[in-house]
Amino acid sequence: MTNDLNRRGFLVATGALAGGLAFIGPRGLRAQEGGTLRFALSAYPPSFDAWASGGTAAGTVKLLMHRGLLSYGADGLLRGELAESWEVDDAGAWVFKLRDATWHDGTPVTAEDIAWNVTEAQKPDSAAFLQGQLAMITSVETPDDKTVRMITTEPLGVLPGWFAHYNMPMIKKDEPRDTMIGAGPFRMGEQDRGVSISLTANPDYYKEGLPKLAGIEAIVYADENLRVAALEAGDVDLIEYVPWQSMAGIDGNSDLRLDAVDGPFMYLTFNASRAPFDNPLVRRAVAHAIKREDIVAAAFFDRGAALAHLPIAEKSEFFNPEFKDAWSYDPEKAQALLAEAGYPDGFACTMLSTAQYGMHQSTAEVCQAYLSMVGINVQLDLPEWSSRVQKGNEGSYDLAVMGTTANNNDPDGLSNILDGTLPNSFVRSHALQTPEISEAFARGRAAFDTEERKEIYRELERVAIDTVPIVGLAWRSQGYAMKNSVSGFTNMPGQLTFYSGITLEETMLG
Amino acid sequence: MLRYIAWRSAVALFLVWVVVTAVFLLLHLIPGDPAELLLSQGSIAADPAAVAALRERMGLNEPVWAQYLDHLRGVLTGDLGSSFRDGAPVIEQIAQRLPRTLELIVAAAVIATGIGVPLGTYAAMNANSVADGVISFFASAALSTPVFVVGTVVILIFAQQLQIMPAGGFIPFSEDPLGHLQLLLLPACTVALSLLAVITRMSRASVLEVLQRDYVRTARAKGLSRSRILRRHVVRNALIPVITILGLEMGTLIGGTVLVEFVFNWPGLSGYLVSAVDARDYPEVVGIVMTVSILFVFLNLLVDILNAALDPRISLVRR
Repeated sequence: MTNDLNRRGFLVATGALAGGLAFIGPRGLRAQEGGTLRFALSAYPPSFDAWASGGTAAGTVKLLMHRGLLSYGADGLLRGELAESWEVDDAGAWVFKLRDATWHDGTPVTAEDIAWNVTEAQKPDSAAFLQGQLAMITSVETPDDKTVRMITTEPLGVLPGWFAHYNMPMIKKDEPRDTMIGAGPFRMGEQDRGVSISLTANPDYYKEGLPKLAGIEAIVYADENLRVAALEAGDVDLIEYVPWQSMAGIDGNSDLRLDAVDGPFMYLTFNASRAPFDNPLVRRAVAHAIKREDIVAAAFFDRGAALAHLPIAEKSEFFNPEFKDAWSYDPEKAQALLAEAGYPDGFACTMLSTAQYGMHQSTAEVCQAYLSMVGINVQLDLPEWSSRVQKGNEGSYDLAVMGTTANNNDPDGLSNILDGTLPNSFVRSHALQTPEISEAFARGRAAFDTEERKEIYRELERVAIDTVPIVGLAWRSQGYAMKNSVSGFTNMPGQLTFYSGITLEETMLG
Repeated sequence: MLRYIAWRSAVALFLVWVVVTAVFLLLHLIPGDPAELLLSQGSIAADPAAVAALRERMGLNEPVWAQYLDHLRGVLTGDLGSSFRDGAPVIEQIAQRLPRTLELIVAAAVIATGIGVPLGTYAAMNANSVADGVISFFASAALSTPVFVVGTVVILIFAQQLQIMPAGGFIPFSEDPLGHLQLLLLPACTVALSLLAVITRMSRASVLEVLQRDYVRTARAKGLSRSRILRRHVVRNALIPVITILGLEMGTLIGGTVLVEFVFNWPGLSGYLVSAVDARDYPEVVGIVMTVSILFVFLNLLVDILNAALDPRISLVRR
């Protein structure tokens, strides 16, 4: 056998080298120019059910395919979509006037379609995300093809907000709930379940000149680090759920842009069906025992902010500055409250969180450390998420760490986590009745005057600060990152961050 | 030989039934309600009435034994049921995902065998030399490095720093053959690395053992060339334990490429299993586990038959 390079060997080696270079070259997988945006989603939608909650990724895909009566603009204000105007008539009913719009199959959107959506989604077994709210609508009238009149038992100021939610899009009458026929800016193309979804621009979209993109390729990257790597490598143009540990790196990369807002929040819930957390003094003691800045640092790499009151953002017109530090870190006060409640030496309890999500576990660990300093010895229970949800629903815990967003920036969006008259759920404290708060929410919904509503929610927060149905811990930054060539995409303000997919109709490449 | 295969197949089927039954029962024992989870997506408070209605629709209110019998009936008629999440037929999803995982494993096996056998043979032929030491060191290092570390480092270097390879993902071969192979390369190499270490070490040990055999000495005495001795007498005989190990490793990988599939976003069967367990999607979990166990026992069987083909004494001895 010889090691000398002969002619045949040379040709083979040269060919292999040329082929190899072509193979590893970047072509084909780089982001495409010419109008198709490659968007890295964090998950594949568990279903395309228009009215059910399917998580953030499902919400984004719905915002591409469908449109509701209303939506929120990038400024966070309500705006018309299928409805061009909406108002309360003299009888206290909401009247929506529809614009000229068509479904993806070319048929017009009619008042009858809209009425069908409401009556179907409000059925008790519909499992629609807003079923409970829609049940307050006693009847839906369609005086003509372009007018929908919704009658409620009492006037409801918050009703338009329901129809701006991405879990209440309108679909064509008699279509299945997971229909791909919507009235949104993009039409569903090919789907590879669990992998990717292709959408193409709807040429008959009712907003002239929109969408600006020819299409969107939504690709699932479940691993947060790979999502960032894919953006940095140029495989995708836009990513959601930027991990906090990567935000500084993206900020420092001149080719990329980070758009982050403080919207979702972390909080503690209590099991009030038994001692000691049936006692509001103990709950207040917990609220004062935790130094929230350490949670922001440990769980969110300083990408967030301390939250020592109800989760109403400082930018909101409903923010109450007098409660800004109502639950501030004050271990001496916490110990005094424990003594007053009859626990001068503290007690032992369990705290439910999950090891599946690092932010939930880190938050629990910081809380555990601070609570031990005031004499509350916490044993952590960190099952995977599915078990955590079940234990939360059953009330198999004393204290629990939770993270979520409100439905929208209106304080009524907090009723889901604060209203004790609602059925037991892992998102709110277990068996904790708060009649004053429930009543305040009801009054807030019925009020139309902003000043009157501000007063109602100020009173609600005052009661909450004393009775502590939850303990606010931290705002967490929610980020999208994109190439500099992406323009027009906006991370919506505050609690609306998960509505940001709606701005993809205005997004451009290059 | 045929009787031997028939007996092994019967045992294999029994094993598959045991695994499926155990998984079915265990799934119902662990906490987590699929209906509740489905309606709580996005940290939403699910309405208990809606959960109850969905449980009824999913058939979860039936006694476990009734659900089990129903499932077995389905399996016997080739119906693995539908996903709780979106009603997608499980068998179709497995048919779509399994080839991707098999492709990953086969590509890794080809890389690992193509490099590992010559490397192990070279190390054995030069036992106790510096080269042997270097090969053994790297084999040990590769074996002890977790795949997610290798995967992450590979992505960092080739995708993020050098930007010559995509970070991960999947494109069907029919759509873009070159893109498909590009995306396959890094995960396949990552899976191949630990496999390569095992095959190299196994080849080395096996070749070393065969080199001591009388028939090799005889071949040398007959004046056969070194390469002919290697090809005809050494490697062929040394391959038997290597193939056994390769088969077992590949069987393990069918359900064990979870981390690589996750890190590289390769949509195979392992990742599918993890998401199904997360969602407590019982039909999907049982269907996938059943498929994996059938493949595992089938691979074992194949290894035995291959060994018998390489060395006819094996089937004689076992018969």
